[in-house]
Amino acid sequence: MSKNITVYLKIWRQEGPDSRGKLVPYTVDNVDPDMSLLEMLDVLNEDLTKKGELPIEFDSDCREGICGTCGLVISGIPHGKKKGIATCQLHMRNFKDGDVITIEPFRAKPFPVVKDLVIDRSAFDRIIAKGGYISVNTGSAPEANLIPIPKETAELAMDAAACIGCGACVAACPNAAAYLFVGAKISQYCLLPQGHPERKIRVRAMVGQMDAEGFGDCSNHAECQAVCPKEISIVNIARMRREYLKSLWP
Amino acid sequence: MTLDGKVPGGPIEQKWDSYKGHINLVSPANKRKHTIIIVGTGLAGASAAATLGELGYNVKSYCIQDSPRRAHSIAAQGGINASKDYQNDGDSDWRLFYDTVKGGDFRSREGNVYRLAQLSGNIIDQCVAQGVPFAREYGGGLANRSFGGVLVSRTFYARGQTGQQLLLGAYGALMRQLNLGRVKIFPRREMLDLVIIDGRARGIVVRNLITGEIEKYEGDAVLLATGGYSPVYYLSTNAVNSNASAAWRCHKRGAYFANPSFTQIHPTCIPQSGEHQSKLVLMSESLRNDGRIWVPKEVGDKRAANDIPENERDYYLERMYPAYGNLVPRDIASRAAKRVCDEGRGVGATGRAVYLDFADAIKRLGEQVIREKYGNLFDMYENITGENPYRVPMRIYPAPHYTMGGLWVDYNLMSTIPGLFVLGEANFSDHGANRLGASALMQGLADGYFVIPFTLGHYIAGAKLSAVNTDNDAFKEAVDNVQKGTQKLLSIKGSKTVREIHRKLGNIMIQYVGMSRSEEGLKKAIEEIKRIKEEFWTDVNVPGSADTLNKSLEMAGRLADFLELGELMARDALNRNESAGGHFREEYQTPEGEALRDDKNYSYVAAWEYKGKEKPQELHKEELEFEYVKESQRSYK
Amino acid sequence: MQSWATVIWSSVGRKILSAITGVILYLFIMVHLLGNLQLFESSPDPFNLYANFLEKFEGIITIIEIGLLISILFHIVVGTTVYINKLKARPEGYIKTGSAGPPSRKTISSTTMIYTGIVIAVFIIIHIITFKYGPGIDEGYVSNINGTQVRDLYRLVVETFSKPGYVIWYVAAMIFLGFHLRHAFWSAFQSMGWTNPKFLPILYVAGVILAILMAMGFIIIPIWIYFTGGAV
Repeated sequence: MSKNITVYLKIWRQEGPDSRGKLVPYTVDNVDPDMSLLEMLDVLNEDLTKKGELPIEFDSDCREGICGTCGLVISGIPHGKKKGIATCQLHMRNFKDGDVITIEPFRAKPFPVVKDLVIDRSAFDRIIAKGGYISVNTGSAPEANLIPIPKETAELAMDAAACIGCGACVAACPNAAAYLFVGAKISQYCLLPQGHPERKIRVRAMVGQMDAEGFGDCSNHAECQAVCPKEISIVNIARMRREYLKSLWP
Repeated sequence: MTLDGKVPGGPIEQKWDSYKGHINLVSPANKRKHTIIIVGTGLAGASAAATLGELGYNVKSYCIQDSPRRAHSIAAQGGINASKDYQNDGDSDWRLFYDTVKGGDFRSREGNVYRLAQLSGNIIDQCVAQGVPFAREYGGGLANRSFGGVLVSRTFYARGQTGQQLLLGAYGALMRQLNLGRVKIFPRREMLDLVIIDGRARGIVVRNLITGEIEKYEGDAVLLATGGYSPVYYLSTNAVNSNASAAWRCHKRGAYFANPSFTQIHPTCIPQSGEHQSKLVLMSESLRNDGRIWVPKEVGDKRAANDIPENERDYYLERMYPAYGNLVPRDIASRAAKRVCDEGRGVGATGRAVYLDFADAIKRLGEQVIREKYGNLFDMYENITGENPYRVPMRIYPAPHYTMGGLWVDYNLMSTIPGLFVLGEANFSDHGANRLGASALMQGLADGYFVIPFTLGHYIAGAKLSAVNTDNDAFKEAVDNVQKGTQKLLSIKGSKTVREIHRKLGNIMIQYVGMSRSEEGLKKAIEEIKRIKEEFWTDVNVPGSADTLNKSLEMAGRLADFLELGELMARDALNRNESAGGHFREEYQTPEGEALRDDKNYSYVAAWEYKGKEKPQELHKEELEFEYVKESQRSYK
Repeated sequence: MQSWATVIWSSVGRKILSAITGVILYLFIMVHLLGNLQLFESSPDPFNLYANFLEKFEGIITIIEIGLLISILFHIVVGTTVYINKLKARPEGYIKTGSAGPPSRKTISSTTMIYTGIVIAVFIIIHIITFKYGPGIDEGYVSNINGTQVRDLYRLVVETFSKPGYVIWYVAAMIFLGFHLRHAFWSAFQSMGWTNPKFLPILYVAGVILAILMAMGFIIIPIWIYFTGGAV
């Protein structure tokens, strides 16, 4: 059993979308290294509640890295330094006794802060609404094995489809671009034959909506793929750009 | 009142087709005049909202998450069953139906289950057309794996993320309808009351979780697809926000709650590491194919696993069930783990865990083979526990992860309140007393894509619905009710946090209404829950205010409902003097310690009617008839 | 459906434009460097002949110059737009910033493209004033090669690079160019979608090597001339 540790937190507190926020220091003693970071915040929140202070609001749901709800910038890195995990999968054993941990919300204009560490990511939904699907009505589907799809293609599509929509790619991007998110969705549907009929409309509509939401331009820093909890590659961004170029041809 | 399941007559294979041929239809021009409220955007809710939007209804979709894509269906790992028989191994609708009824320990409704089996293939077709990247064979066809102890290979999967991919398919379909203007989506809204006008469900009251505002919405029908209630145990594999409140508030408005004590505890989860724990993570059952489960023979043996010599280890499943060994069904494996831990032979810091040891498999097959088969699971385990399972045995313990019980519905998926339909895990219908692996996804999507479009139309076309609006007194009364509840929670200002009290409830529930139950324990549980409820309403501290985002307030409201539901679960378990599936009563077991059903007296659905505050619910019975599957006793020796 | 202008001037379209113009400029710089290497010849004549040779094809050169000018302008407009959008897309920045490390390609080079770009733009203006519009035959910079009078650009180069201040500025600007090119190379391929998982690491390494070679090539010339006085 490893020893319990003390960590010094600096957490972003912001009352509402229009108020000014600031970092507030908290010390948490007796942190069990087996705790997750979010559980450590739960414990801190219980303490704050008992002291009559307002608990820190943050989003989280499944706590196993699949729903995409949680997302904190931990000492400058979305979802923390450890690779291939969401915030909820980060455990305190990754920190040392006496560490200072800065916790900020994902920051981007299209992701406005709602309160403390809670943000509004509905921009992603609006992008998906423009074409992140195959237009097939219930009941009209042909027999599932009618179109054979090579295993490799299915695997590549699944690599892209693994996106949990957490927004870490945007948060990490120095330009606050949403290319990895959009590129992954476009990739999934341009790899699979079912997605081909709508491919031109889809890529243009989704890119158009992405720009309209106010995300930044991609400058190929590739920081997105380094923080992605599902380790989705920027190859998907290249594929989206190919798809876009192809859509310009008649 | 006798409960009528309204299962159509005729041979079981023809019931659904003949039903569809005889129901009322709504004309295409009239559909857009009807507003349908759908609460929840998991597999059932999202698929229903998308499909009804496609049909032309005016759909309003609500979820507590910040996006419909985050509903907890997303966390389902293993797969989805369908009787496609792509493997040519003798699968059929009939066999899927039979396996499901038997797996449910003969406590489900035959007609519903057969329909589910019939629709299972359509689900796969639909999802493939949507671009769900299911696993494939080298020839390009869909791959299958076997799952959950059935004799055929019928499970379709997308790595360990099947639920995610199916949900994103349904979510995409939903977003398409949003784009076409047929669906409106209301995220971060929590349904807190159902509005009934002239005896029919006509609207809901929700709390806007961002602004705190109480909002009212009217509609011609309300569809509830709000999932299960495993977090009544505090620690479960469910998401931390999964809750029973929407269903419970409907129950309080007159919807019967069926078989609340039928819950499923999954044997292979990563055990709790301490008091701080907020949820438990499930690991695929497939680990039991190569891992050997054991505990020390001696009570209180605190040596490290690798220091305990072979002859001082008790491979208890292999000892007790020589034929099936470590591969006994979920409920049996779970109960056995609980038993050895209760004896004081549990391992790990908390003593609530057993070893799942891969040393033999690694010796036999080599580390590389094990890594290829289970690498991602081993990594996940190491990330959570900090222990390397290639070197030291894994520690596992059962955890609540699915609830078969839920609001009572008939064949139309309509509850006892006309116009209130319940879909997916939130209803009770298809899994009886125990759900088979990879069947939850199947049921959610069957309900949403293929059942509700017909049954809802039948209701709408047949009901004479008067125009209502949110100025109606019933809405006013519901809003007052909700606001009073919120104010009450905020005004207590006691000394206990919501989590503290929830943990207490969870401890009682898992101990007495969990894997194994007894009359004495259940009675104790009912008393304890009452005491905790009292403590909650007098000493809880809910910080902050109602007019802003306030997660403590949300959790408090949910806990208030869990406290009432927990009591009903205990009472239902106490009423059912038999063991069936996930419901194991210690008094009712075979000499070998297996579940002993009482088909003569308990072959019924226990549906509970709310009778008012502080009054016990009244039991109604829907007798179950087994025309096609003969009831039999399970044995795994 | 969007208008063509919207489609081309989308963030993806802009980036493709940036890549295409970048590739043109990159190729130009390579050719320019190869030409400059003639300064290392043992006599000024080959360099002056080369310069004179280019001036003979005035028409084609003008077209190329216009092409380059358009490329530069587009490149600058796109680069500036990216920068402005970046500021708009994150009005409130992080208090603590960091990088997750590989497979991130975020480097000092990738994050300073706008600044290195500005330096290069200023450099280009000064460079053109100094050399293209600098003193020519009329001002006495004449060389007689095989009976033909040509502009003695070599002398101008040598004189310019004898000023320590100018050499320092020139070397500094070329270091900035190296940083710019380091990110530019692989990024251009990625922006046009011409990458795959196997190709990407090769491109990245190639970009680094090329950038070092190009920067070193441009840097050695003024330093060599400063210390040796050139071929004369």
